[in-house]
Amino acid sequence: MADVGKPGQEYDVMIIGAGVGGMESALTLGDMGFHVLVVEREPSVGGRMILLSKVFPTLDCASCISTPKMAAVVNHPNVRTIIYSEVNDIQPQKNGGFLVHVNRKPTFVDAAKCTGCGQCTEACTVSYPDEFNYDLVTRRAAHIAFPQAVPKKAVITRQGTSPCSFTCPAGVKPHGYISLVRSGLYDEAFDQHLEDAPLVGVLSRACYAPCEEQCTRGLLEGPVPIRGIKRFMSDRYYASHAEPTYGRPEKLTGKKVAVVGSGPAGLAAAYFLARKGHSVTVFEADKEAGGIMRWGIPSYRLPTSALTRDLKNITALGVEIRTGQKITSVTALGKPQYDAVFLATGDTGGRRLAVPGEDQAGVLDAMEFLHAVRDDHPPTLKDKRVVVVGGGNVAIDSARSALRLGAKQVTMVCLESRPEMPAHKWEVQEAEDEGVKVDVSWGVKSIPSTGSLVTGIELKRCTAVFDAEHRFRPTFDEKVTQTLPADVIIKAIGLAPNTAPFAKEIELNRNGTIKVDAETLQTSLPFVFAGGDSVIGPSMIVQAIGQGKKAAFYMDRFIQGLDVRGARPAEKLPEADKIRVASKAREDGTIRAPVRVSRLGTKERIRDFAEYETPLTEEEARYSSSRCLDCGVCSECQECVSVCPADAINLDMRVQQETVSVKAVALATGFHPFDARQKPAFGYGKFANVITGPQMDRILAPTRPYNAVVRPSDGKVPSSVAFLLCTGSRDEQAGNRLCSRVCCMYSLKQAQLLMGALLFSEVTFYYIDIRAFGKGYEEFFQQTKGMGVHFVKGKVSRVEEADNGDLTVHYEDIEGGGGHKTAKHDLVVLSTGLLPNQEAFGLFPAGALQKDSYDYVREQNEEIEPGKTTMDGVFVVGSATAVRDIPDTIVHSEAASAQIASYLRRKGVKV
Amino acid sequence: MTEPAKEEPRRRIGVVVCQCGGNISDYVDTEKVRSEIAKEGDVVSARVEMFACSDAAQQNSIEEIKSKKLDGIVISSCSPKLHLSTFRAMSSRAGLNQYEYTQANIREQCSWAHTHDREAATGKALRLVRAAVAKTAKSEPLEKMRVETTPQVLVIGAGVAGLRAALSLSDMGITVHMIDSADHPGGHVGRWGTLFPNNKVGKTVVDGLVQDVRTRENIMLYLKTELVEKSGRVGAFNVKLRTGNGAAIPLQVGAIVVATGFEPYAPQSGEFGYGLPGVVTLPEFKELLGSRSNKPTYEGKEVRTVVYVYCVGSREPAEAGNPRTYCSRYCCSATSHVASVLGAADPGLHQFHLFRDIRTYGKYETMYEHALQSGSVFLRYDEENRPTVERDAKGLVVRVKDRLMAGEDVEIRPDLVVLVTGMVPRANEALTRVLKLPLGQDGFYREAHVKLRPVETVIDGVFVVGASQGPKNVAESVTSALAGVSKAGALLLKGYVDLDPLVARVDPVACEWCGECLKACPYGAIEEVTYGDKQVAQISPILCKGEGGCVPVCAKQAVSVLGYTNEQMLSMIDAMSPGIPGKAGAPSLIGTTSRKVPVKEGA
Repeated sequence: MADVGKPGQEYDVMIIGAGVGGMESALTLGDMGFHVLVVEREPSVGGRMILLSKVFPTLDCASCISTPKMAAVVNHPNVRTIIYSEVNDIQPQKNGGFLVHVNRKPTFVDAAKCTGCGQCTEACTVSYPDEFNYDLVTRRAAHIAFPQAVPKKAVITRQGTSPCSFTCPAGVKPHGYISLVRSGLYDEAFDQHLEDAPLVGVLSRACYAPCEEQCTRGLLEGPVPIRGIKRFMSDRYYASHAEPTYGRPEKLTGKKVAVVGSGPAGLAAAYFLARKGHSVTVFEADKEAGGIMRWGIPSYRLPTSALTRDLKNITALGVEIRTGQKITSVTALGKPQYDAVFLATGDTGGRRLAVPGEDQAGVLDAMEFLHAVRDDHPPTLKDKRVVVVGGGNVAIDSARSALRLGAKQVTMVCLESRPEMPAHKWEVQEAEDEGVKVDVSWGVKSIPSTGSLVTGIELKRCTAVFDAEHRFRPTFDEKVTQTLPADVIIKAIGLAPNTAPFAKEIELNRNGTIKVDAETLQTSLPFVFAGGDSVIGPSMIVQAIGQGKKAAFYMDRFIQGLDVRGARPAEKLPEADKIRVASKAREDGTIRAPVRVSRLGTKERIRDFAEYETPLTEEEARYSSSRCLDCGVCSECQECVSVCPADAINLDMRVQQETVSVKAVALATGFHPFDARQKPAFGYGKFANVITGPQMDRILAPTRPYNAVVRPSDGKVPSSVAFLLCTGSRDEQAGNRLCSRVCCMYSLKQAQLLMGALLFSEVTFYYIDIRAFGKGYEEFFQQTKGMGVHFVKGKVSRVEEADNGDLTVHYEDIEGGGGHKTAKHDLVVLSTGLLPNQEAFGLFPAGALQKDSYDYVREQNEEIEPGKTTMDGVFVVGSATAVRDIPDTIVHSEAASAQIASYLRRKGVKV
Repeated sequence: MTEPAKEEPRRRIGVVVCQCGGNISDYVDTEKVRSEIAKEGDVVSARVEMFACSDAAQQNSIEEIKSKKLDGIVISSCSPKLHLSTFRAMSSRAGLNQYEYTQANIREQCSWAHTHDREAATGKALRLVRAAVAKTAKSEPLEKMRVETTPQVLVIGAGVAGLRAALSLSDMGITVHMIDSADHPGGHVGRWGTLFPNNKVGKTVVDGLVQDVRTRENIMLYLKTELVEKSGRVGAFNVKLRTGNGAAIPLQVGAIVVATGFEPYAPQSGEFGYGLPGVVTLPEFKELLGSRSNKPTYEGKEVRTVVYVYCVGSREPAEAGNPRTYCSRYCCSATSHVASVLGAADPGLHQFHLFRDIRTYGKYETMYEHALQSGSVFLRYDEENRPTVERDAKGLVVRVKDRLMAGEDVEIRPDLVVLVTGMVPRANEALTRVLKLPLGQDGFYREAHVKLRPVETVIDGVFVVGASQGPKNVAESVTSALAGVSKAGALLLKGYVDLDPLVARVDPVACEWCGECLKACPYGAIEEVTYGDKQVAQISPILCKGEGGCVPVCAKQAVSVLGYTNEQMLSMIDAMSPGIPGKAGAPSLIGTTSRKVPVKEGA
């Protein structure tokens, strides 16, 4: 098979491109006995020819002629073919040879294991335009290029990590579960999430969803409601799965880990460590597990039931949660008790305002207030006037909770101006909708009272919160003040880490957070790791989960006695190009209005602490997930991984660079097809029934996408087909003065095949000259004429579309008396031309490889030295130097092979 | 009564029925063929593949051969011409002797021929596959014959293509014998002035090549010399040259490159006024201009108005026997080039082009552009309404109906009419006979396959290049010449060639020398030798082509072709015939099948 060679090998010649020209050269040189390396960028050899139906003028089937060459080139003993690889650069060496760097693109499928069975392509949940059918239909992200592909191996298209998955700090892959929900695979969607992070139910309610902020649809009509979809799938899963379907892992390591704190970081660490087979005990000071999720977030946002069920996912693995056990020393937990300790004590400590009146009874700490509310003995706020100090999430939660406790008036005051407020905009909006008043840019000056009762709060104007370096350093205008009447003041002015008990055992930072290695989360005490808010300060649940997950990875290595830094969690691919995805979506015009997650009315909401968000219906969830743009193409849903019988899928594969040295280089880089969108008046891309010549060839090919000759818009069998010749050729305005040589003939061929397939169809050619110049071509043209094809000499100015998809062609009828005429057709084929592929020039040192006046690779002396470029030892094959039809390409490839052989023999290469 | 035939051990044959992506399965029920053939006694596996030739399907077949320990395989697909070597190579990779493979052609010989009767086509396909299975059941492993090659090439024709080919072969270290019937090298190009598209001078180009050729020690140039005899085989042809003074030169060469070029079409007298003073062909016009690019003169008079009549001798109607239906490919570009050069030098020159389609393909389009920009006027004529060229008292007059002006009659009075003549094949009957080369309908040499083997011919080791294969311009001729070189190089650089062992064999016991086979053999492969006390025929496996002409003429049925033994052929016929209407119960079609033809071991 193909990849027999070892990296670093030497070859007599490297051929770039395994189209029909490159293959022919490789075989000829291989037959001569030279050692040949063929580098092909696509997943299969065969180039463009294998995609054709039949070939002119003999009407041989293109597959029949290509496939033996394709098989021969990968099986030739003197030829090594590497697919899905691109030459990065070619450095001429002093000795006359070349040093070449080849990037072997990851296929994400181990070619040695893949049998080409195609199960992954069926399981794949992402559709993508099928480039091998010139986008007429879609294929899956996991795909086999085409039925006759050589080698016949699956490849997964990945264009980076989708922004949602890229941004998630917990490593959850929203794109993955969204594509599964889209496919109706709800349980799989849930399982995939659970694979990446526990606490699915909690996140589905209380996550601030940074993924939604990154969603590319956000640049268009509005983001996909990712959290809503998550809630749909998790609610659905929990409704049918009261208990987890798994138990303790089969293999236990016998190692023990203590986790201090049962907040999101601690639970995540416990979950991942338990999955590794370690025995995990979680110590929780409070009376119930969950930390901030249980005690800090109001139940209208996060009901206890969601947390309770989520906890089962963790305890099912054998994790023991001991509540009511406050740990005050980590060293005491060390060996022999535990092999490692994870500290995740969070940051629920309050901060002080340091103003007169702060210590009065009516002044509450927000976290204590929220805890009391969750613990069902809230302070009495009925008909009270409440002022919440602070502009963050906790302040919002406090204010909204106060409303729900029946406060007469709730006002939030904060130092920050509106745009500076740390709370999410939508949160502030929701709070205001419910009746919270928000008064920004105020600092607290004092809290006046009657002695036992708070009477109000005196505020002073805050002129700036941050200094020039964006450090928190508020400045005030003491002259601008106001006093708000108030009965209760709730302070939500920041959180302090709960780390005081450990100050003597491990190093802390000045702000009280735990000092850790940023990568491994290891503390100054090697067996102690720490994460979550006690390390990073106030954060989101999803961030804390990410910390616990990361700590678990390194703790596992520590416990196993491995070098802790010796490995890293699998890195994500770079973020997919959002701008490109968005502009493509805009071009394609796929506007889909977002579903708004519906909520209870504000009056109903504040009556109690019940959840106020209405879950998405199944239909809404499916529709919403179908709005996903598949930014990174592959969604990492793992369906292929689970179905592959050969265990061949490896999503962690990355680009590998290979260095080879070669004595000669042959550029068989072919041509670029003309993009018919460059002729907007013809309507390609806008009108479904305007297609290109290459697409017509696909429709006629034995491996055709529709399995019939029909037009794309409605599947109707066309009864009148127009060919617009010279689309993008002989056309200065389209940027190509040259004749593309093949379009007349391929159009004539398609006309013959069409008339054979559709007995009653009319075919009309709009042409300038019919260029049937090769051997047997004129005869083929006359034969086509004889079959009744109409030939109209004249250029088409524009194409218009009717409501039923039919098309009107406006043309100049030169020989029929002249003037502007129109004709109706139900399918228009643009006989698009071929353009130079200019990529070869970038491979060499700047300017080394010369272009001709039309941007093709210049042949030094086209009459006498075909195939020789302006660089010694660099040769050009086929259409890379001037577009050619297949017979001319093959002859030229063989000629270039003779040039290469002569060159190598003169260089003393023996065969 | 004969004894009951001894039960032969069962073979283990695999069958693949190819759908050819619909080419077969649209007209033949491939699944039915598969299920029926699976019932045959020797068949142990039968599969349907979408493309049996695809790499994946080949892998499947290899797996099948190995896992089911097949000792023969039948692939029912297309013509062996297309894929015989593909599937032989596949068999070898699977460890199965490649001559245990048989191809049943159910495409060209079945699905494509019977597109309107699926049932009958399916029945026929099944018969063809059964026959192939029967043949395979009696197949035996054979080995290729490896013979040495001579690293020398005979190049016929010292025009631009032959010269360039010789140099490249010389570069590869291959000795070249180059012959030309003329007394100087250079062919047509050596007589031409400027060439399109780069304004090189033909004579300069050719002189450069000739000079280089003369410095090469491993190129022998024989002028006024012809090839008169050829025998031998690929890799070691014995050829005989005859020089102008009648001397015979015998040589052994490994390959032959035919670069005999073309002739310009010579118009009939009166064809578009040819023969009238002032009416010349394009090559005559080019010779007239020489390397000059302005102020053309004709018989001492300055030419102010030129009319070019295109497609003279090309694109003619397909009347009985007329071979010139083809487009000569180079003429539009050559004429546009001449006109643009003349027009650029002298904007006052009037040039009228009477054309049918302007075929300045690819980059040559810019020459047409330049011709237009430099004042040339193009008028389009119809094949049915050809322009006329006459001479009256005032001089030449050309009349044409211009399609671009709705068929308006146009009359031009030029000083000169240039008939843009195409290329016709050279009159090479003697050479063609010696080489036994096939010709296409157009009279040019025919390549083996326009895409798969564009410079190879059906005669292994004989290559056709340049305009001998069809009209070409200089760059295209040279490209084709170098393609021939690469194929000759692939043949000779290795130093050996593996020959098919499918050759005729004589059973010396049965043979009673009569000499009929010797007369039937066109390859001189048979000689008379003594065998014990009698004379018998012996066949050289190297010279034999396995053509089989000797088989039917042998009265003793002593000759048989390996891989196509009489026994195999008869069993194929038997396998094919059951159930044919009118033949039920009839005796075997030919002779008897019980006769066993002994085959000698080894090759």
